Amino acid sequence: MLTYLRRRILSSAIPLLVVVLGVFFLARLTGDPANLYLPLSATQKMREAFSAQHGFDDPLLVQFGDYLAQLAHLDFGESLRTAQPAAEAVLRAFPATLQLAGVTLLLAVAGAVVVGSLAAYRPNSPADRIASFLSSTAASTPDFWFAIMGVLVFAVTLDWLPTSGTVGSAAWVLPVATLLIRPFGVLVQVVRGAMVTALSEPYIKVARSKGAGERRVIFKHALRNAGAPTLTVAGDLAVGLINGAVVVETIFGWPGIGKLMIDSILQRDFAVLQAAVLLTALTIFALNLLIDVCYVLLDPRVRQGAMA
Amino acid sequence: MTSPLHPPVSTGPPGRRAAALAVVVLLTGGCTVANSGAAADAGTVQIVLPEEPPTLEPCDASLTATGRVVRSNITEPLAERVPETGELEPKLATGWKRTSPTTWRFTLRKGVTFHDGTAFTAKDAAFSIDRTLDSGIECNVDGYVFGDSRITASAVDATTVEVTSKEPDPILPLRLSFVEMVPTSTDADSRVREPVGTGPYRIEKWNQGINLRLAQYGSYWGKAPDYKTALYTWRAEGSVRAAMVSSGEADVAVGLAPADGAGDHAVEYPNNETSYLRMDADKPPLDDIRVRKAINYAIDKKGLVASVFAGLGKPAGQLVPDGVTGYNPDIKSWPHDMKRAKSLIAAARADGVPVDTKITIIGRNGIYPKAAETMEVVQNELREAGLDVKVKMLDVNAWTEYLLRPFPKDAGPTLLQAQHGNQAGDAAFTMEQIYGSKGAQSSYGTPGLDRRIQRAEHAAGRERQARFAEALAYQSKKVVRDAVLAHMKSIIALAPDVSYKPDSASGDEMHLAEIHPAG
Repeated sequence: MLTYLRRRILSSAIPLLVVVLGVFFLARLTGDPANLYLPLSATQKMREAFSAQHGFDDPLLVQFGDYLAQLAHLDFGESLRTAQPAAEAVLRAFPATLQLAGVTLLLAVAGAVVVGSLAAYRPNSPADRIASFLSSTAASTPDFWFAIMGVLVFAVTLDWLPTSGTVGSAAWVLPVATLLIRPFGVLVQVVRGAMVTALSEPYIKVARSKGAGERRVIFKHALRNAGAPTLTVAGDLAVGLINGAVVVETIFGWPGIGKLMIDSILQRDFAVLQAAVLLTALTIFALNLLIDVCYVLLDPRVRQGAMA
Repeated sequence: MTSPLHPPVSTGPPGRRAAALAVVVLLTGGCTVANSGAAADAGTVQIVLPEEPPTLEPCDASLTATGRVVRSNITEPLAERVPETGELEPKLATGWKRTSPTTWRFTLRKGVTFHDGTAFTAKDAAFSIDRTLDSGIECNVDGYVFGDSRITASAVDATTVEVTSKEPDPILPLRLSFVEMVPTSTDADSRVREPVGTGPYRIEKWNQGINLRLAQYGSYWGKAPDYKTALYTWRAEGSVRAAMVSSGEADVAVGLAPADGAGDHAVEYPNNETSYLRMDADKPPLDDIRVRKAINYAIDKKGLVASVFAGLGKPAGQLVPDGVTGYNPDIKSWPHDMKRAKSLIAAARADGVPVDTKITIIGRNGIYPKAAETMEVVQNELREAGLDVKVKMLDVNAWTEYLLRPFPKDAGPTLLQAQHGNQAGDAAFTMEQIYGSKGAQSSYGTPGLDRRIQRAEHAAGRERQARFAEALAYQSKKVVRDAVLAHMKSIIALAPDVSYKPDSASGDEMHLAEIHPAG
């Protein structure tokens, strides 16, 4: 198992390095930040002084060398916009995204397992058709539209929920619902498909012939075998949630990493962008590792391969 | 190999406890975000902004996001410009006079204290001016207002400060109205995020990323504002800002577009910005004044304002709006006359001007509502007039490469979509940089226009007004470097229980003391 983990960690280091290199060099191809940070009426002398102070007038390779040297000391640089340490901004935003993504994924997986299993239990029954229709609709609903409609209906018209923000537990409802709807729709379809396959396998018949109850057949035998594809898709969705809650964070004023990354791209705040991408990449890398480990634990065939 | 007929059994601890713990941590962690703000009470005015201020550093108060929170709320300048009249009114200085062509003397208000309890003196004023202009902390105000001007300030006595410029500067008090006063205890070597000021409000709590609360300063020298506290939040999405006012979560929402749906809560106001197209008048075919005039005739400004801008603007013929020193009431918006535009292009073509050369409109996404649609309308009109035009929409950073010198080489003739706001109220802050031959934002100038601009910059009072007005008229008639579109308007949403009258400065500063409970 340890060998397997070591192999996975080493193979993930290369993409991580590519991400660091890509973000550093691509960001610097997009123009001089002095034009954004200084007033339009600033003199050329002021622009040159700004570039010199922040090292933007050095050759790119020198800048990259400085960046790596700073990284070695866990120094992520300073935000051009706020003059605060970049790591501070990123570490402040990241838990907000993790919490939102975690709650969303938890609800999506739990809901999808129940709805998908029920739909698969009697394929083509009215319940299955309704679940399939609703999950397809959910999976194809644009989150931007859903969020704005949610605000208009539940906050402005019905006055049940706050429009946005983070004050109070009610403020979680619309962001989580918006973030939940697509993963939920996708996962229901995946769980249903995997469960239909699992429930038609010979071992289910054996279990039933041995007198196992239906609940045990579904949740103990079939669901466990349907777990692997569900886990794969849930892992992909989790990566998307961590990386891409931008729309939800922007609309609902959620102080997360997605909004921070978009803002730092638009404002050419290189230090914050690099720190945010690096932390997100590391998290996704850790998440993928976790999924691999879960996969090993869930599927004996994978376990045997991993141990070999 | 495990037989698929035998459902696999768990090979290790199920980890349920760990999973349960993770869920609990996640959910309780959620509460840290959920409870990190606080609700507002009746004595609080709630304002929702498009973005969080990056800093509250007073020497960056010329940044819109910072200035609208800081200026005259937390910190104050020596004097302040009244947007309606363009005149300076006393703030922390009760008076000022020019004692020599290069020297101004300011008499300071007595009895003013900073939020830390220390008295405001001439030493603080001199320190604040030096810190803004000479401390090497890259103050935005320095670049915005002072440029190459070199200024020194010194305390004459406790209530008198003397400010000297290297060159005669008739509008020095206006420039200094951008310098916010801070105590000498403020760090002179680096920026501060949460300043101490003399304003009617002090910073109570800044929950970064979430909200900012200001509380009334009990020892304020002036009249106490109506609201005890002010709570700022920020939402990037305009429709959500409007919805917050509709649902009663905010009293004031700023920076709205017509499509944001503020409905009856919307209040329109002129925002000091003027939209225009800058022409590369040194590149064919735009180097022919007939082509530049044709472009002005071809664009239907009234139609643009009525349809694309949804009425939020007024067709304009010059870059400075009424209320700014130098505004020329005789310069009218160019009439829409497609027939004349076509004949001018035909005449230029007949004289060998390469009018078929591809002209690129460099647009900027989001520079004002429906920016891309505006450029598409202009493109169609210019094509109809006989020009070959394409549109290239860019983000702000890529766009500034075209806005500022040195311009990209081999870009071909371009029309740059731009917008100019004269926040300072004097045409000096427009003319040199936008129309001067060497101006940072100028693609073309003439010696005649340069001369007129320089003469105006050295004049004072009525003469200054007349000379800038003449320079603007010369630009409009003889140079025709631009196609000016409209003096723009903005929308603010106000809840029924507050009263506030926005003015042309409201986009850049919002005085909390001017917000009152309705009725």
